[in-house]
Amino acid sequence: MNSWRQRIRPEQIRELSLVGLIVIALLVFGWQIENFLSARTFNRITTSVAIVGMVAIGQTLVVLTRNIDLSVGSIVGFTAYFVGAQLAANPTMPPAAAVALAVLVGGAMGLFNGVIVAYGRVPAIITTLGTLAIYRMLLINYANARTITVDSLPSWVVELSRQTLLTIGDFAVRPLFAITIIAVIVFQFVLGYTIFGRRLYAIGSNPEAARFAGLPVQQTVLAAFVLCGMLAGLAGFLFLSRFGNITAVAGQGIELESVAAVVVGGVNTFGGSGTVFGALLGAFLIDLLGQGLLRWLGISEFWRDALLGLLILLAVASDSVILGWLRRLWAAPAVRVEAGNER
Amino acid sequence: MQTTPVLEMRDISRRFGNTQALDGVSLRLYPGEVHALLGENGAGKSTLIKIMTGVHQPDSGQILLDGKPARIGSTLEAQRLGIAAIYQEPLMYPDLNVAENIFVAHAGRRWLVDWGQMYRAAEAILAQLDVHLDVRQPARGLSVAAQQTVEIAKALSLQARVLIMDEPTAALSAHEVEQLFAIVRRLRAQGVAILFISHRLEEVFAIADRITVFRDGRLISSALRTEVTVEQAIRDMAGRSVEQLFPRRHTVRDEILVQVRNLGRQGVFQGISFDVRAGEVLGFAGLVGARRTDVGLALFGIAPADHGTITIAGQSVRITNPHQAMRFGIAYVSEDRRGLGLSLPMSIAANITLPTLQRYLNSLGLLRRRDEVATAEEFRQRLAIRAPSVDVAVGTLSGGNQQKVMLSKWLNTRPRLLILDEPTRGIDVGAKAEVHQMIDQLAAEGIAIILISSDLPEVLAMSDRVLVMREGRQMGIFARHEATQERVLAAAMGQSHTVGTTTAETIGSAS
Repeated sequence: MNSWRQRIRPEQIRELSLVGLIVIALLVFGWQIENFLSARTFNRITTSVAIVGMVAIGQTLVVLTRNIDLSVGSIVGFTAYFVGAQLAANPTMPPAAAVALAVLVGGAMGLFNGVIVAYGRVPAIITTLGTLAIYRMLLINYANARTITVDSLPSWVVELSRQTLLTIGDFAVRPLFAITIIAVIVFQFVLGYTIFGRRLYAIGSNPEAARFAGLPVQQTVLAAFVLCGMLAGLAGFLFLSRFGNITAVAGQGIELESVAAVVVGGVNTFGGSGTVFGALLGAFLIDLLGQGLLRWLGISEFWRDALLGLLILLAVASDSVILGWLRRLWAAPAVRVEAGNER
Repeated sequence: MQTTPVLEMRDISRRFGNTQALDGVSLRLYPGEVHALLGENGAGKSTLIKIMTGVHQPDSGQILLDGKPARIGSTLEAQRLGIAAIYQEPLMYPDLNVAENIFVAHAGRRWLVDWGQMYRAAEAILAQLDVHLDVRQPARGLSVAAQQTVEIAKALSLQARVLIMDEPTAALSAHEVEQLFAIVRRLRAQGVAILFISHRLEEVFAIADRITVFRDGRLISSALRTEVTVEQAIRDMAGRSVEQLFPRRHTVRDEILVQVRNLGRQGVFQGISFDVRAGEVLGFAGLVGARRTDVGLALFGIAPADHGTITIAGQSVRITNPHQAMRFGIAYVSEDRRGLGLSLPMSIAANITLPTLQRYLNSLGLLRRRDEVATAEEFRQRLAIRAPSVDVAVGTLSGGNQQKVMLSKWLNTRPRLLILDEPTRGIDVGAKAEVHQMIDQLAAEGIAIILISSDLPEVLAMSDRVLVMREGRQMGIFARHEATQERVLAAAMGQSHTVGTTTAETIGSAS
């Protein structure tokens, strides 16, 4: 009778509670806002979550190791602009090459971050705050006040974000969202079933113990940053596809959104616990609240940032309280099970 | 001039969980007297100091200051009452200068710092100690001895009348010890009551007026220095009560598994030489600061040795990281379960398989979680780990069960040499007996074991031979039948000549 308790861990309940919150938000907004539960809202949210969610996957990997990557906003912006410029110059470039280029450029930027954090022993928050500014400066220099426009790009780029893969009722699933969902599934699997994934958790929850267990701590942290950069690069490509018009401020603020998604999604900022699926749910909830409040209360875009900040604070502050409460709830019957076995 | 004691502790008792740290202890500190406190690890010295300095409160007993009952509710109160303590590692603010460090506790009494006056006052105090130090120099880069002097000056600036010195000489050179003693004598002449704690008997006998010995939280003896001998003091410290001796079987095999010669690490330990045979338990005994753990860490490659040789199963090896050590079949179970050993939010199964994940891969390179769980289940039954399932977070388990998860994790690496560092510290009596039984069992299976333990009766009961260390040096190796508490303790305190250890085996540590 206690088997479900043993199978489901408190951390998983924490994630499931996000689904509950999303449903509640949907119900409230659907009831209060005319036409909220429509194909259009679904489309807007999924497209926007596709980009933030992709970045949040990488952010999850980094946060799991007790680090943070604040430079992702600039990486998204830089790769979006850079790949856009290359495509404008060589319209015949095959799609696969364009995607590979985005991933490669993002990966290189992630590598730079990772080397400084893992080998230079500079705290990640400082390193990536620095590169956030540096990568943005690179973009501003490179862009030189020019703008990538939809018209200058090969048509397939922008088409990609407008196609429909499949429709469920009125709801259309767009390729960008599908790509992110696939990436989430892949990385959920990586975290759960590969040595690399296990090492991320081990290093985050106790770096010294990981060292004692003979794990390559530095290489693993480096790999997390490189992957985070690569995913941000891929997100940059999605960004290009979604907007088509790219300026030097592209992707600004995504660092905050991705951190918010990760934290709201239940990834522990002290490392060691959390999943990419949770981060995706976090991204969903945040975007839903943002869109909903925007239309319900007519609040301005600036409120969105404040909302993000508030959600981050709430999530982090409530996390230990809620998890502690759940763990106690779990531990209590466990003692009874033990006593039962001994009789 | 034996008047009223400045500080009197009367019938002090204090309990921590299952351990009676102090049991009805009384102690008087007189002005102008150096009172030495001796005792093995865990004898209760630290607890007494913490009660004197207001860190802990006694469960029962009385504290009298100048003959009047007093309460030391906090460290701040202790400071106000004129009780100061200095430790082996001084607590400095490295970026503040000497004068600022001396007067740091005075901060907040005035709005502005009068720098000129502060420097003059600092110089005056140092002059009182007959010490020459530039008061404008930052504390960073000062020697430990100089830092201690600053600590003493700080205590004087607060009008300390009781000065507690906890192992102050452990990190000092012989010359610096002399200088410290000159300061101590000067303080004594000024009427300060000094409680001096040291594992170095020669120092205790050189400086103390009165010597008190603790054992198992009780006061065993207290006498003027002129009335005790070194032998007497050692005898009083030894003879710890033995709860239940675990009957070790004789499991030593002929095959020498690990041979260590003249192992050393610059500034930490040197000249360590021993053999361990398959099925043998080699105990590492010593007092705090003996550097036993550092030898273990060197063998496991965490803080590698920089000279000497290690031979494993006839093959000469160099070990520079834990990964290598594991490949050579060495496992190290740390004393610090939370800090170095376990990932508390992770499950029992994930903790156990962490160092051996390569074994759980399928042909696609993915983890076979079912096999991990099977391994964990096997250990759960074998070591009787009490947990509802192997999926629960390790952080939810009791200390004894966490210890068993640690053991499982390292046993799963199938070690040939298992280094156990304080495997029973802080776990209850029942779990302790289980760990002892496990050690015997593992030895019987042919694993060579190095048992580092500060619990002297435990080392003696569990080991086939005992290596004694003191301040980074090897003092001797005793066979089981010659290893008495007195002998091992005498060696650990550098007094081997006084208790005759002629039969002690010593492996050539030359060259």
